[in-house]
Amino acid sequence: MTAILEARGLTKAYGSVRVLEDVDFDLQDGEAHVVIGPNGAGKTTLFRCLSGETRINGGTIRFAGEDVSGLTGAQRVKRGIGRTFQVARIFPSMSAFENLIVAIETRERTHQGLRFTFGYIAPRRAVVAEAERLVTELGLEDTVDDVAGTLSHGDKKRLELAMCLALKPRLLMLDEPTAGMSPSDRAEAVRLITRVRDSYGLSLLLTEHDMEVVFGLATRLTVLHHGEIIASGQPEAVRADPRVREVYLGQH
Amino acid sequence: MIDYRARFRSNLAIAACGLAAFAVVPFVANSGLMFLAGLVAINIVFGMSWNLLFSGAGLLSFGHAMFFGGGAYAMALVSLHWPGLPFLLGLAIGAGAGALIALVFGVIALRRASGVYFAVLTLVFSELIHLVITKTTFLGRNDGLVGIPRPTIETGLFTLDLTSATAYYYFIVVAMACAAFALWCFQNSPAGRLIQAIRQDNLRTAFLGTSIFGWQLTAFVLSGALAAFCGAVMVPFTQIASPEIAYWTVSTQPILFTLLGGAGNFWGPAVGAILFGAIDYGTRAMHGLSEITVGTLLLLVVLLIPGGLLGFLQHRRQKKRRKPTEPAPKRTEAQP
Repeated sequence: MTAILEARGLTKAYGSVRVLEDVDFDLQDGEAHVVIGPNGAGKTTLFRCLSGETRINGGTIRFAGEDVSGLTGAQRVKRGIGRTFQVARIFPSMSAFENLIVAIETRERTHQGLRFTFGYIAPRRAVVAEAERLVTELGLEDTVDDVAGTLSHGDKKRLELAMCLALKPRLLMLDEPTAGMSPSDRAEAVRLITRVRDSYGLSLLLTEHDMEVVFGLATRLTVLHHGEIIASGQPEAVRADPRVREVYLGQH
Repeated sequence: MIDYRARFRSNLAIAACGLAAFAVVPFVANSGLMFLAGLVAINIVFGMSWNLLFSGAGLLSFGHAMFFGGGAYAMALVSLHWPGLPFLLGLAIGAGAGALIALVFGVIALRRASGVYFAVLTLVFSELIHLVITKTTFLGRNDGLVGIPRPTIETGLFTLDLTSATAYYYFIVVAMACAAFALWCFQNSPAGRLIQAIRQDNLRTAFLGTSIFGWQLTAFVLSGALAAFCGAVMVPFTQIASPEIAYWTVSTQPILFTLLGGAGNFWGPAVGAILFGAIDYGTRAMHGLSEITVGTLLLLVVLLIPGGLLGFLQHRRQKKRRKPTEPAPKRTEAQP
């Protein structure tokens, strides 16, 4: 395996508060890498830095061999990094189906020039067909015509996942994919994520609090504490690490 | 699933009815009323150009007069100083002037400000342009540019003589129909959907891999070009370009039309502009009554039916349809 995402000496501070301190982070091609840590450990900040939502103060980020440190989030998406948010971000006034249409059309826009701006009065058949495929794949059939803002929490998350898959990413970053879900929904979400990971051949980067989800998905586990990585490796090995038990797992 | 083709057909039907109504005006009304109808037709598209920003891109402009006035003055200048220039090219220059103003302003303002600060910047910039016009001799200072001729269009096969007011009225109706059609196509294209998406959640659109700034600028330039096109078409009709058309009161017009008619609907500005024209006509003998009526009406609309007239009608229709079984849905701003 080769590293698809490599971060070296990652440093991020908000004002005088240093959230990430000289973090080295690797993500191998094809792995499902879960980052855990107590609240305030810097998980979300690490996520934001890697996805390009915020600028880093120091260090480099390489994706598939290319230095992406200076690129915006949108530019990183074009290179194959998709991401979801802790609270699902969708287009609330559009129908769920239109959300998907927008995602697919946005991926395709660069090949179309002016036709993209004036050319069609309806989405192209290929786009609609692709959206329908995604609906079936993610099990969104019942809610596809509903206004996205009225969907349940779990359905919003599934819709957001579908939108990210429409971008055909190589690496998908999921920020707490099961936050706020019931235990049965969580198990369902783990199955769904495993399924799309296999069928799309994705590398995954996740943050998560629920230990069942963590150990259900992770092929590699990293523990973040006060902006530093204190353990990283096979999930079982990390679970046995005494320092990890002390700062994080022990609390549960 | 949304039936896009049915939506296109029903909008085309509405447009056809509207066009027919405008087409019979010269037969049934006197020249004063026809003149007003011509201005209303221009105002409809002017309102729509503003609503493209407001409901489409989620940008609030208080300075649309700068585009309208910019287009009008560009048109006036070319027809006075360059009489040999083909008329349609003059219109294109007018629209291009608006696009250029929007581009320059948009590059500066869209990067720096958002929300209310953006709105105030548009107002300030528009006032600046008004001030420049009133101080520039070349642009006629406070007197404006007068005696602008109505054109004849040489097509090679035949000559279209638009020098009479009636002929030019028909030209306005056709030009505005074309502009509205182009705008509809844009708003319902993938790009139009994307701009909507940016308004609803800009972070999500950024992480779909698009430049928010680029698309907002596109919408802004398009809106500016369209407003300027309206100004450019108006000038040969009124035969004068005066500084008032770049004044801030003109900027309030498309806002009034849109809020009266309903911002969530493509035809909202059209309904508002026609209503506004009717009030203007009904109160023409009593100076000041028009403003009072419009002001009161707007107050009522904003307080009682924030979705405007069309939003109100649509809401009522949905309520009626759903009454027997299910409760009324939450009101959304989904496009019709």
